[in-house]
Amino acid sequence: MSTPELVTITVDEVEVQVPKGLGLVESAAMAGVEIPVFCYEPRIGPPIGACRMCLVEVEGQGKLQAGCTLTAQDGMVVRTAQTSEKAADGQESTLEFILVNHPLDCPVCDKGGECPLQDLTFRYGPGNTRMTFPKRTFDKPIPISPLIALDRERCILCYRCTRFSGEVSEDGQLIARNRGAQSVIATFEDEPYRGRFTGNVIELCPVGALTSTPYRFEARPWEIQNVPSVCGMCPVGCNISATTREGKVKRVLSRNHPEVDGGWLCDKGRFAYGHLQAADRLVDPLRRAAPRYEELSWDEALEEAERLIRTAGSRIVTALSGSETVELAYALGKLLRQGLGAHSAVLPEPVGHSFDAFRAPLSAIRSAQLVVVLGDEPVAERAPIVELWIKAARREGAEIVHASSGTPELETRLREAERAVLIVSGDDGGLATTAGLDRDGCAAFRLPKTANGRGVADAWAAAADEEPENPEPIGLLIVSGDEAAADPNVRAMAEQAETVIAIGMFRRLVAPWADLILPGTSYLERDGTYVNLEGRLQRIRRASIPPAPDELAVLSRLAARFEVEISPYPSQVFDEVSAICYGGVPYGEVGEQAGLPPRVPASQVRGSDPGTGPEATAEGPGLRLVTYRPLFSGPAVERIPELQFQRPGPEVELARDDAQRLGIASGQTVYVRSNGTSLELRARLSRELAPGVVRIPDEHAAGLEGRVEVSG
Amino acid sequence: MAAELTVLNGARERDLTKLDEYRTIGGYGQLERARGMAPEAVIETITNAKLRGRGGAGFAMGRKMSLVPPPDKRRSPAYVVANADESEPGAFKDREIMRTAPHRFVEGCLIAAHGIQSRNVFIYIRGEYLTEYEVLSRAVEEARAAGIFDDCDVVVHRGAGAYICGEESALLDSLEGKRGQPRPRPPFPPVTGLYGGPTLVNNVQTIASVPAIFELGVEEYTRIGPESAPGTVVYSLSGNVNKPGNYELPLGTTLRELIFEHGHGVAEGRALKAIIPGGSSVPVFTPNQLDVPLDFDSVQAAGSFLGSAAIIVVDDRACMVQLGLRAEKFYMHESCGKCTPCREGTRWLVQLLERIETGDGSQRDLDLLRDVCDRILGKSLCALGDFAVYCVASYVDKFYDEFKRHVEEGGCPYGGESSLDGVVAPSDQHTHSPVASPVPA
Amino acid sequence: MSAPETAADFRQRVEELKALYPDSRSAVMGALHLAQKRHDGWLPPEALEEVAEAMELTPAFVQSVASFYDMYHLEPVGRHSIEVCTNLSCALVGAQAVVDAFEQELGVGPGETTEDGAITFRLVECAGGCGYAPVVIVDQRYREPARPDDVPGLVEEIRGR
Repeated sequence: MSTPELVTITVDEVEVQVPKGLGLVESAAMAGVEIPVFCYEPRIGPPIGACRMCLVEVEGQGKLQAGCTLTAQDGMVVRTAQTSEKAADGQESTLEFILVNHPLDCPVCDKGGECPLQDLTFRYGPGNTRMTFPKRTFDKPIPISPLIALDRERCILCYRCTRFSGEVSEDGQLIARNRGAQSVIATFEDEPYRGRFTGNVIELCPVGALTSTPYRFEARPWEIQNVPSVCGMCPVGCNISATTREGKVKRVLSRNHPEVDGGWLCDKGRFAYGHLQAADRLVDPLRRAAPRYEELSWDEALEEAERLIRTAGSRIVTALSGSETVELAYALGKLLRQGLGAHSAVLPEPVGHSFDAFRAPLSAIRSAQLVVVLGDEPVAERAPIVELWIKAARREGAEIVHASSGTPELETRLREAERAVLIVSGDDGGLATTAGLDRDGCAAFRLPKTANGRGVADAWAAAADEEPENPEPIGLLIVSGDEAAADPNVRAMAEQAETVIAIGMFRRLVAPWADLILPGTSYLERDGTYVNLEGRLQRIRRASIPPAPDELAVLSRLAARFEVEISPYPSQVFDEVSAICYGGVPYGEVGEQAGLPPRVPASQVRGSDPGTGPEATAEGPGLRLVTYRPLFSGPAVERIPELQFQRPGPEVELARDDAQRLGIASGQTVYVRSNGTSLELRARLSRELAPGVVRIPDEHAAGLEGRVEVSG
Repeated sequence: MAAELTVLNGARERDLTKLDEYRTIGGYGQLERARGMAPEAVIETITNAKLRGRGGAGFAMGRKMSLVPPPDKRRSPAYVVANADESEPGAFKDREIMRTAPHRFVEGCLIAAHGIQSRNVFIYIRGEYLTEYEVLSRAVEEARAAGIFDDCDVVVHRGAGAYICGEESALLDSLEGKRGQPRPRPPFPPVTGLYGGPTLVNNVQTIASVPAIFELGVEEYTRIGPESAPGTVVYSLSGNVNKPGNYELPLGTTLRELIFEHGHGVAEGRALKAIIPGGSSVPVFTPNQLDVPLDFDSVQAAGSFLGSAAIIVVDDRACMVQLGLRAEKFYMHESCGKCTPCREGTRWLVQLLERIETGDGSQRDLDLLRDVCDRILGKSLCALGDFAVYCVASYVDKFYDEFKRHVEEGGCPYGGESSLDGVVAPSDQHTHSPVASPVPA
Repeated sequence: MSAPETAADFRQRVEELKALYPDSRSAVMGALHLAQKRHDGWLPPEALEEVAEAMELTPAFVQSVASFYDMYHLEPVGRHSIEVCTNLSCALVGAQAVVDAFEQELGVGPGETTEDGAITFRLVECAGGCGYAPVVIVDQRYREPARPDDVPGLVEEIRGR
């Protein structure tokens, strides 16, 4: 890449050199001058110059200019309100007009104390009002969804939220209605604002117009602490700040990692923290004492665990969740594998390393010319933020190709495009080669199912080398974490196993079938590390104190009973794993904005890939069924009433061509049949779906499999 | 061709909506002539004719055309967009041009398209002009059927009622299927316009003036009117004048000639009180300015703008506070809501004017009114904010005593006898959508 | 411009409109005009959904656009419309007297629809007939100039349609 041309500009008599074309707001900041803004937010697209807060005087221009819409040109001389009376008058005018109809109800506003309008008014605004008419009033607050409240009186119509909805998430649901002073933010016919990314508008809002309903009246800014961490809800690993008050997580905000999440969060990551307070949250160890469970003390629980382990000998199988930390997975491996020789495990998902040769930050997707999405699973359901990067790429002019299976043509195109990105979502459909994607500007990503499946697999593997011998029958099944507990395969194994120890957060998930239940913790309650889908090692931090000791502390004590030494401190456990897996990088260097390890040359990639080639769904009549796990599902989501409206309806997605052939219109009720099962579902037409494929969320596809018939 | 008439020439004697009739007076001959010229020569001709935009801003059309990058420097196709969203209060000339001489306008569009080497012409006509839309559409069909378009195409696009769409960048957003809100500039439309492509946006009358330039030749055309900006303009004359209507005259005709010779003056027994020289959006003139020639530079030198050459005559029956209030209600109604000063400021001005008119205003309100005007001026995203201020601020400045009497006498000195008494505006009567109905305070 | 009768007819007409533009979204205004004709002169939510479907846009986006322009009606209207301009040129020559006359004749105020659902009476901003003021627009056709004396005849004529 060539070095950008530097130009010299003068802002408030400070001369500064900046790259030509840099935004004036950023250029001024480089000169140490703040140009205050409301509507300007480069992440949501080109500037619109609407709020007029950034008015500055530019030499040679008669009128004040909106600084946000200007870029640095050589010799530009700019005066902000600090040095120009005219600009100061402009800025003060804007603030006066903004406040003319703003209710100034800061004492009861959730935004108070962290409100750009409040801050800028304090710094630049008029001390009193000249408005002597009744202010505009509206019904308030309006729930635009169970998650978000809209206060139209506070709204300053900066259009950040509607631009996000229209131009970033592209859901087109949050809009401005009417014209002029009558303009309001609204949804269609007051339907709830439904989508994977709606909560971002709360953070984008520069006033208290869009606030989080779950956070409403929960805390004041001076009472809170923000803990930097990483989301544990999907393999993207968005960087978050967990806001806590009195030791409880009250909200989750984005902590913009420009390479990973670009400052966006999905609603699952943002609102799922409520699961920490779930009604069936386990607090004490429980032992089955038919027909009920009895509470145990921790000493009793460890005693019981030791007894179950010793009874089973090496006939132990461990089922791990992909939400476990690297440290916990390693500790489990160390105890069970090194200590007891029990090498058998159910890992969260198959993990491959071949794409390490094409590693790149997710943000590289945005600069691609060609993005090939291979596989039939919806990207947004697996790794929601990846969908935003793909949309950004399309807006920048990239071609997006969705395909079920790899064809020689696709491989050629991937090889020949200047900047090609391959994204495998689900089965890669027998892609023969990814050769050539290691060149500059190209990348390949595999979207795993779980947040840290890779880290867990690596850590488990790091604990020992021996091959597992699958015990028959299973003497003891150890189920670590709620994901594993919710897995039907694991549940089937539990049926067979002589005894079961389950470690989890939710009683309803494990109560009927585990013999010993140990309370578990959430990613918001642990310290440790995760490896995201890029292969980026990231640090998660304990934001809130769990109601029971965390797993590592418990495991440390349990291991002592078998004379296995496991530190209760994630940092020390990590150092052991790191020496094996991560080149010895110390815990303290897994930064708050973690970098991406370099690419691994293809010849040095470890291990094999998850099985390629589609499960042979024999050719035949009808359409090939793909079921998927929806984003808004799982034990945490199920426990948050406000998120229920986001769960997918009973819908079947059809490719447009197939729908046309079958005479099916969007929204129509259709019948989907296979093997004697017939379900009534609503048809939704999709551009992304390959012809010949239908897609149904797994929770609405019960009984269907293989190939299905669809009829109107 | 009579030198006085270039745009409406023949339109009042013949049915120029018909292609045959238009052809009998040489119609589309200038297109042929222009197509025989290099595109650059077409631009040069228009530049040399010093044709300035008749839509309001008065920007030189040739200069605008030359800002459009040539084909080898374009990243996307170039467009010609004709602004037929005539909505300036006082203006009704584009309507007449489209209704009576549509082919001349279409011919101008095609010449412009050849000049900037574009194959797509979009005509954005205001939604209210349904009859004109039909006439124009028929003319376009007729010309298309006659093979006149060649490899160019013309699409007539109907608006749906929004003054702001007469602002060129708002028009482009509207044409792209969005809410018609202005864009920040730069970039300007000739560089980045419709669908991001280079776009020439010109008003109907400007474009309809183009064929005459080619017919008369630059030399003869520039003999009409003042040297700096020659040609004719259709003056729309309305208000308290005996013979209102459209008058196509050379630029530089004085107000006195227009109002008293062509418009036959104000009603018997009434006195001229004020003249709005360029549509409601420009500063007002007083009778002592009757000798100002109505051309771009002279009107500006006299402290106002020629704008769209829409002259509204106000006689001594009108209360200037009421006039200002009615004008401001229009701007409040038409403010698009995008930028803060215009959206909030126009509403505040209406509130202040209402209070002054009803006699509840104080000197402080009057001072505030004037100050709010200054606070809006020059700070909005597009010119609508300025328009909303030019009118009211000039009424206050030039008729200060009348405003002051409202405050001092606790009511309107006209005592119910003003010609504008009790006038109700759309903004008083209904909200556009129920969601915005404010809950009573 | 005739009203598309069936939904299929409507979709066909919208497809034709979309083909006129490099970006099909430009057809949204035309589609809204057509939908309004199809739905008794206004745009109920179903009409907006119909436009959204045909345009491949969200209903919210379509509503956002529709609510910006004065000529799209988001509330029910009468079978006929009477509109009076009260902007400066019309107001200066007696538009309010015409408004008052209509109010008298129709028994409803501006912004309202007669009880029998026949006529919606509305005020509009400058309609571009300033030289022939006051301007009255009946079912989108200009009647200019219109004097208070003309009002009873106009209303009778409309009621007879």
